[in-house]
Amino acid sequence: MKRKLANVLVYVFLTVVALLSVFPLVWMAVSATNDSQTVLSGSLTPGRHLLDNYRNLLANQDVWKAMSNSLVYSLSQTLLALVICSFAGYGFEIFHTRNKDRLMSVLLLAMMVPLAATMVPLFQMMSKMGFLNTAAGFVLPSVSTPFLIMMFRQSARAFPHDIIEAARIDGLGEIRIFLRMFFPTMRSTYAAAMTITFMNAWNNYLWPKVIMQTNDAMTMPMLTANLMSGYVVDYGMLMVAVLLSTLPTVVIFFLLQKSFTEGIAGAVKG
Amino acid sequence: MKKLVAVLLVLVMALSLTSVPAFAEAGSHKLTVWCWDPAFNIYAMQEAAKFYKEVDPAFELEVIETPWNDLQTKLTTAGMAGDYSTLPDIFLCQDNAFQKNVMAFPDMFTDLTASGIDFTQFGAAKTAYSVIDGKNYGVPFDNGAVIQAVRTDILEQAGYTVADLTDIDWNRYIEIGEDVLAKTGKPMLSSTAGEPDMVMIMLQSAGASLFDAEGKPAIAGNDVVKKAIELYATLVQKGILVEVTGWDGYIGTLVNGTVAGTINGCWIMASIQTAKDQAGKWAVTNMPKLPDVESATNYSNNGGSSWAVSANCKDTALAFDFLAKTYAGSVAFYEDILPSSGALATYLPAGQSDVYAAPQEFFGGDTVFAKITEFAGKIPSNYTGAYYYEARDAITVAITAIMAGGDADAALSEAQSTVEFAQGV
Repeated sequence: MKRKLANVLVYVFLTVVALLSVFPLVWMAVSATNDSQTVLSGSLTPGRHLLDNYRNLLANQDVWKAMSNSLVYSLSQTLLALVICSFAGYGFEIFHTRNKDRLMSVLLLAMMVPLAATMVPLFQMMSKMGFLNTAAGFVLPSVSTPFLIMMFRQSARAFPHDIIEAARIDGLGEIRIFLRMFFPTMRSTYAAAMTITFMNAWNNYLWPKVIMQTNDAMTMPMLTANLMSGYVVDYGMLMVAVLLSTLPTVVIFFLLQKSFTEGIAGAVKG
Repeated sequence: MKKLVAVLLVLVMALSLTSVPAFAEAGSHKLTVWCWDPAFNIYAMQEAAKFYKEVDPAFELEVIETPWNDLQTKLTTAGMAGDYSTLPDIFLCQDNAFQKNVMAFPDMFTDLTASGIDFTQFGAAKTAYSVIDGKNYGVPFDNGAVIQAVRTDILEQAGYTVADLTDIDWNRYIEIGEDVLAKTGKPMLSSTAGEPDMVMIMLQSAGASLFDAEGKPAIAGNDVVKKAIELYATLVQKGILVEVTGWDGYIGTLVNGTVAGTINGCWIMASIQTAKDQAGKWAVTNMPKLPDVESATNYSNNGGSSWAVSANCKDTALAFDFLAKTYAGSVAFYEDILPSSGALATYLPAGQSDVYAAPQEFFGGDTVFAKITEFAGKIPSNYTGAYYYEARDAITVAITAIMAGGDADAALSEAQSTVEFAQGV
């Protein structure tokens, strides 16, 4: 009986927390269907202004350009970061020496340095290299992150070293060991890393707002900020933009949800 | 491995092949502009371009939409990196941030004093924001003259009219506010918690400032500051002013009719007018003045911005001529942008125009634009100083302390030391 009661309490608590987490998303979706004044009145009833809001948004902003920019930038960053960081994490673990461990500690320290501190020199570098307003300018500063390297290093730790030895004796090269043995077994880690990197890249705001200086190079978070900059904000239109901006990350997350949890658990378990 | 590296290199190179902006070069007939708000500043700029095309048919203008916070980040990054090559020809700068940006990065701005632009045609208080060491760095644009906008229907329920709220002081305002609250249950005002706008408005209405003429903080022992904060605290304690969370909450109180009015820069009218169902129920008048302060007036300023020409502008002659013939020389231009955008000029000759004297149905058929232009001419100027935003933040902390029952003098001394620390005094 006591157990049942405890279960009920746990479920009630979890339901409340789940509702609290979902509420902003529901509010966003409902608000996208209402006009600005109704949104401000805090209404939770779906309205009939979704198409009007969408049309206004298209008339005001080049949404699909921003959407495709964000997709190109985020996918390139995800792809490059996964390749580079998984190589690095694998290397740090499998070929580890005392000096490499020290280097890893230095890398981890770099996690503590915020972007604001490195922004000015990075901007100078990108400007001199002619990478302003380009995907390369967006991607390059984040292709190697200490967090991802650490994540892949932790996963590599769980990878049986004996198999690598056996493969070497059988004559398999190091790159092939990585591609044919490490990569297939670490899919869940890749999925988790992919979700995290894609979300970070998609939501990145500070860096693109510094280096993207033309309308053609604008990303979705920049476009959303534009919608809030005026004396009069059309909240219905804003909510449609936010809704559209949320969709890609939601799709990626749901597609990779199962592997994501496994990957995160694996990385922590070490 | 080599193949993989090659593929990665090709990918990076391909990614970089996107366009890089080209800014104006001498004789190019093209200018690039950074500003925000499509319905207001951007609209005005595009209309200005249409007007200037009559002078120079080959003229082209590219507006890059950049919200103010982003624009400031871009200016700071470019300034600190010493790389101005990324800046546009012209950018819009908030008046309160003008002094600081010019002082921090003097070579980022082009001196407009001898540009041929006639600065005497603008309100003196407005021009003062972009004058540093006697040199003009900005062409004044939108008006931040403070208005008191009130719901006449709510006032009527309590037995008052707009005339009762015109040319009064804050003591009388509090009496009326208490009465309106008792009879209708509605507070007179709302404001965003943690934003000192109302106190800053009160300060400027008496020509007072958080800095002295030399730019040193003048907060501790400043009686006007103390009086303004105490008044604000009284308004909140008596329920005449309700504090809400965030800007959206503030706009919500206006369009949902939870308050009987607001006191803010005249640009707030654009937000008020989004509540179409309240047409004809609003009226505009001047704000209350500080009681027992010799320099007190019923006029103040909040917000507004000015156009700056960057150091990266290669064709300054074109930029100067464009600004001189539109923003600083064409009444027709201001007449054109007013109806659609509500962008009120600080260009004084525009105030005399017939368009400005047209009655506005939303505001009960009153000639509000002419009224506000008249207000703008009576605003006392004050010193914003280079550390305006730091002082604003310090004052916010002081307001919170005083409202929580803390000692006013101690809180203001604390604010003074905070600003001095920021200034490195």
